[in-house]
Amino acid sequence: MTLLEAIPTTTATPAALPTLLLSALIWVPALGALALLFFPSRTELQRQRIRSFGIATTALVLAFAIFMWYGFRDQSGTYAYEETRTWLSAIGSSYHLGVDGVSMPLLLMSAFLFLFAVLSSSREQSKEYLALLLVLETGVNGVFVSLDYLLFFLFWQMQAVPMFLLIARFGGRRRLAAAWKFLAVDIAGSGVLLLAILILYFKAPVRTFDIVALHDVVLPTAIATLIAWLFFIAFAVKLPAFPFHTWFIDAQAEASAPVALILGGVLVKLGGYGLIRVDVGEFQTALHNFAGAVVVIAVVTVLWSAIAVLAQDDLRRVVGYVVMSHMGLVLLAAATAAPVALNGAIVLMIADGLTAGMLVLLVAAIVERTGTHSIHAMGGMAGRMGKGAVLWIFAALAAIGFPGLAGFVGQLLIAVGAYPSHRIATPLALVGVLLVAGAMIVTVQRIFFGNISERHGRIRDLGTLELATTIGLLSLIVLLGVLPAILMDSINFSVITLLSRGGG
Amino acid sequence: MTLILLAAAPKGPLDTWSPTLLAQFALLLPLIALLVILAFTIDSRRASAAISILFTLASVICALLVVAIELAHPLHLERPATFLQFFTGQSGGASEFTLQWGVLSDPLAATVGLAVVLVSLLVQIYALSFMRREDGVVRFFCALLFATFAMLGVTLSVSYFEMLLFFGMVTLSSYLLIAHWWQREEAAAAAVRAFIISAIGDLALLAAVAYIYLRFNELNFQTLAGQYVSGRIGANGLFAIAILIFIAAAAKSALFPLHAWLPGSAQAPAPAAALLHSAGGALCGVYLIARTYGLFHASPRALALLAIAGGISALLGVLWALFQDNLKRAIAYTTMGELGLMVLALGIGAYGAGVFELFTHAWPKALLFLAAGVIIRELRTERLSEMGGLWRRMRFTGSVMLIAIAAAAGIPPFSTFWSKDTIMSKALALKSPLTIAVIVAVTFLGAMALVRIFALAFTGETARRRRFEPDRIRDVGGRLAFAMSLLAIISVVAGIRALRSRFDLIGFITFPGVPLPNSHYAAAGAIAVTAVLGAAVAWVIYARRLPLPAALQPVRRAMGEGLFIERAYRLGAVAVLLPASRAMGWVETHVVDGAMELIAESAAFAGEPRNWLAQVRIRQLLIGLFAGIVALGVVSILLAGRLIGKA
Repeated sequence: MTLLEAIPTTTATPAALPTLLLSALIWVPALGALALLFFPSRTELQRQRIRSFGIATTALVLAFAIFMWYGFRDQSGTYAYEETRTWLSAIGSSYHLGVDGVSMPLLLMSAFLFLFAVLSSSREQSKEYLALLLVLETGVNGVFVSLDYLLFFLFWQMQAVPMFLLIARFGGRRRLAAAWKFLAVDIAGSGVLLLAILILYFKAPVRTFDIVALHDVVLPTAIATLIAWLFFIAFAVKLPAFPFHTWFIDAQAEASAPVALILGGVLVKLGGYGLIRVDVGEFQTALHNFAGAVVVIAVVTVLWSAIAVLAQDDLRRVVGYVVMSHMGLVLLAAATAAPVALNGAIVLMIADGLTAGMLVLLVAAIVERTGTHSIHAMGGMAGRMGKGAVLWIFAALAAIGFPGLAGFVGQLLIAVGAYPSHRIATPLALVGVLLVAGAMIVTVQRIFFGNISERHGRIRDLGTLELATTIGLLSLIVLLGVLPAILMDSINFSVITLLSRGGG
Repeated sequence: MTLILLAAAPKGPLDTWSPTLLAQFALLLPLIALLVILAFTIDSRRASAAISILFTLASVICALLVVAIELAHPLHLERPATFLQFFTGQSGGASEFTLQWGVLSDPLAATVGLAVVLVSLLVQIYALSFMRREDGVVRFFCALLFATFAMLGVTLSVSYFEMLLFFGMVTLSSYLLIAHWWQREEAAAAAVRAFIISAIGDLALLAAVAYIYLRFNELNFQTLAGQYVSGRIGANGLFAIAILIFIAAAAKSALFPLHAWLPGSAQAPAPAAALLHSAGGALCGVYLIARTYGLFHASPRALALLAIAGGISALLGVLWALFQDNLKRAIAYTTMGELGLMVLALGIGAYGAGVFELFTHAWPKALLFLAAGVIIRELRTERLSEMGGLWRRMRFTGSVMLIAIAAAAGIPPFSTFWSKDTIMSKALALKSPLTIAVIVAVTFLGAMALVRIFALAFTGETARRRRFEPDRIRDVGGRLAFAMSLLAIISVVAGIRALRSRFDLIGFITFPGVPLPNSHYAAAGAIAVTAVLGAAVAWVIYARRLPLPAALQPVRRAMGEGLFIERAYRLGAVAVLLPASRAMGWVETHVVDGAMELIAESAAFAGEPRNWLAQVRIRQLLIGLFAGIVALGVVSILLAGRLIGKA
């Protein structure tokens, strides 16, 4: 009995599902961005209207995503909402979209985070900013749903450019350097990705870019391993894994808050998603050949980021390293390729997306009030920002995988799932988790406890909008932490399918 | 009395009521109170405190009923629910991954649970008056409720997973309680230290969960209880799990060398410290060992580990307590001594005696902290060297403190005498001279340390200080006195054994394969003589304020600083981790990032456009972006087409 046969069959009728939803999910933001260009933005009222339009567009996408997720839950194990249209049939590429339990939760998270990003954008932002953000959403959602390597690559490129512009135009003082570094590294990574795709395309006996069709192709071990390596490097750059992570830390530190939210919350998850979808799903045997190297990279990533965060004085970089350490755990789970660990990886990615969002927003609020990024220059602010302190403690706890919050489920599953195959790496990664925990708790003390310095005597507590966005994220984190089962069933069926299909 | 009446009824509601349901109520009531306060009454001190106390009272009643039911029929019932369950497709063994939570009701859980909620209730009544003039009263009550919930969750856990869940919550609750006065740098630092050390334990428990799951495919305590000896795992594997569990327990219960957070926990407000040290966070490590005793019992090396670590912790704890100048820290170190003694008892196989000690020790220790809180508030100093002469001015506090000290020191017939006596009996039965010596030394020094506190605070004359008038010292009354006298009464009676009847607490909590502890007259006599002797010696030395010989001054300094272990940890963190982190930062900027810059620079166009990027309009860029995507698509099509043509 193979694994696939052992899966309880579900009673779903795929035909009943509308098939335009995925396209809508991708292109609605892009259309919104185009429409925004024709909005006048001279008066205050007009700018207000632009903002409302942006919120409405992302909310619409979120509504689509939630609607899809509800329809999706019965339909586990295969791709849902599949959509295939002829496109570039000459070279064997088609417009093939579809979601499964791996991509659907991530899509849902992305839709949530984009809404929060638009909500938390300041009112003075120009319409170009919003347009770029919406184009970015198109690119990100496109990557999550593409089932065609060429399409996957195009969307992958499509999120890089708007992100570059968003950092370069709306970031902090050293934004240009950070943006160029982001672009250069990203293009280098994309080059590797393209190379992998082209090698796969030309070495396969069938001329097609279709991920599903290429799955059954049998390649020589050496070629398969090479392709898997190239894919791995491309995704590891995005993840960001050590030693390709500095672009991420810089960009995270320099980008404005909503952009940093998307960068740490959604963009790096593309790397994790790619790893699971392509490397684990399609090249499992090949990945197995160099799993040892991946595990080493994963552990170094976790430990490096954990130790780096200890002496870090820039609050924004702290958030970057925390995200990086979580993605290191995801990498460890991917290398394990065990069902429990992969489930944990997906839950942890979602948890980390929400947590990073919350941390970024709170950091922005703190930095705006104190006028400094330096943790040492802060202190005693609990007296002025009581709500901020409570929310920061929650965010810090979520980041360190505190029981009852979403990250705990992810970390527990990764630990339990990865331990049987990696008896040394897993405990080492847990040490990294401990260091991050210590660092985060120390930040609470440094920022909020102790004596308040004279300069911060007049800061005010979080405003309504800041409270709404952070509490919104927190409630999602708590919901997932207490009831992980709401996502787990659909994730697990797809993970099992993914693993049982094997692939060479 | 109620208990006996309830349990003696021939066929009453107790035979039909479900103890697990009641235990579930007891667990959830503090949580509900917390949520109600957060949602509705966060701005009202009175309403919040009233809700908190009422719900805790209800929880106490539920816990009492559970104990009564268990006394009537000692059952091991559980009410598990699924937290997370999915199919893993692994062939062989269980093909499902299941995490369970729920409540477990057996004599052990019922007894400790009762101690938790009852101490919590009395501490809250005390806090109602004690914290009246403080800021953040509602926050304090919320933290107390959360600590109660977390600790109850630990006691009622059905599986390792649930234990891990609530261990994390205990970590947080201790952090919140210790950091209550967050404006004080020391309190904030102590809270961070407690959190980090606790987190070490939590991660060890997480590792244990992963390992146990790997070996047994099961995390439920009751299912696992019989499987440790089933041969599914070798002796080394068992010992490895036992070490992980021990680390988890040591971090929570301040066993050497993970004790560094304990003295700092005295920074918490007195009622919080009372809960933490009597039935709260500090006890859950010992409880974890008691709950997973089957594991330790199956591995002789693990038992030896417990005995050794417990003995060392107990000796160090009482020794350090003897040289502390800070009142609350001195009491905190005596807790460490008691915790070590409990673990030692579990290690030498005196299961019932160890758990009994856990129960009897809770009441006097809570009382000690509550009395200390009053003393510190009236004297406005925490230093024992500045105290004295309180007996005339605080007669009530002095009396209850005397009871607490007698009960904690093991002077007959107060509570811990009975438990220490059973531990001693076991040691005598083992005929292990080292164990006997350790127990005698701990009892002797513990009695000395406790009586020293009383002698320094209550005899002699109050030291003169500026802006302090001893005549304004007032004794306590009202709610403070109520809570303290109730605790004093329990401290007296908690240990008395109803000789071999079924209400005898020590025969109530048993472990299969471990014989019921018997008291020998020799043991009882030894403990009584040692405790009284220790108390007498301390009285002679400290009531007369005999000066310490000059030769012993360095010893006092070393002991007062806890043998500098705490300082060594801090030094280790500052001298090793931070430089390592800085060095890595340097490597990152100069080596890793340097390589990155190379890529960035080698993208030759990167140099020039930096200038125009700052000026160009975003609209132009957007148009360029769209054009670029189209162009990319066209180029890729053309390129691919030509390549195919070639191929």
